[in-house]
Amino acid sequence: MLPFLSKLATRSPWIYRINAGSCNGCDVEMATTALIPRYDVERFGCKYCGSPRHADVVLISGPLTLRVRDKVLRVYDEIPHPKVTVAVGVCPVSGGCFRDGYSVGADIDHYIPLDVIVPGCPPRPQAIMEGVLKAVEIWRARLEEGVCSHS
Amino acid sequence: MLPFLKILLRNVLLGPSTDPFPFAPAKTHENFRGCAVHDPEKCILCGICHHVCAAGAIQLRPSEDGSGVQYLLWHNSCVFCGMCAHYCPTGALTMSTDWHLVHTGEEMLSNCISDFIPFGKCAQCGAKIQPRPKAIVDKLGARSPGRFLLCPQCKRQSIVKNVAQVGPLSRQENS
Repeated sequence: MLPFLSKLATRSPWIYRINAGSCNGCDVEMATTALIPRYDVERFGCKYCGSPRHADVVLISGPLTLRVRDKVLRVYDEIPHPKVTVAVGVCPVSGGCFRDGYSVGADIDHYIPLDVIVPGCPPRPQAIMEGVLKAVEIWRARLEEGVCSHS
Repeated sequence: MLPFLKILLRNVLLGPSTDPFPFAPAKTHENFRGCAVHDPEKCILCGICHHVCAAGAIQLRPSEDGSGVQYLLWHNSCVFCGMCAHYCPTGALTMSTDWHLVHTGEEMLSNCISDFIPFGKCAQCGAKIQPRPKAIVDKLGARSPGRFLLCPQCKRQSIVKNVAQVGPLSRQENS
């Protein structure tokens, strides 16, 4: 039953967005990816959800400013396993042009393991779609691994 | 009357507006700024790209044995502003239209351009000078090909020798 379910589940990954102090450029591109018929990430069964407890794939943008750090980590902990993290833009990885700013501490990578990275400032919607597809592959592998460990 | 019929007809004729991206290559404008491309054959290690880089993505690390410089451009820090390509005097850095940069977290640090660029050698005394790749010699060294490959000291000496052969400059030329 579980392998069957994991096959079904990966056909509709639910996406949750976390803005970790982003400049809003990447968030606009993420909204574009989902809402504009030209890109339409919902073709792959993806759906943006409002609650972290329903999420499968997490899109994080922004350099994790000190002000939102604790909140982001709290929300991230609420997402059920196995979650796949996608860093959208260069900020989560390196800080981008906000690196060494007064409000930017360490990179997100020090707090949250990043599974897929979509570099760009901001990345174009097709690149985000590519990243989401890659994340779904990783998610499938993790689900199957989990199933194997259950048996 | 019934204006939607016109819209319906137009939409039927034009077909779907969705970009068939993962199943077909996406349209990319020719002026799109994607990842930077570095040509080590043209780089002269002037460091202007490192100086103008807004995100600090470019590093020039001198090698331990002092034979050259390791040129590093980390794509995960680059914001694609294109300043490096704009200011590069030799055209070694260019912005390509490639945006397929998605990678997994394990490849985070390896997602960079890493080129080793050896220093040039003075044609006369063998001292280390900036690299003198062929593309640059052809372009800039055409005026005085012998002197272009010399280190600053040898260059100065050769100029002095030339002047000495011609004879002392007159007062008017000197001023």
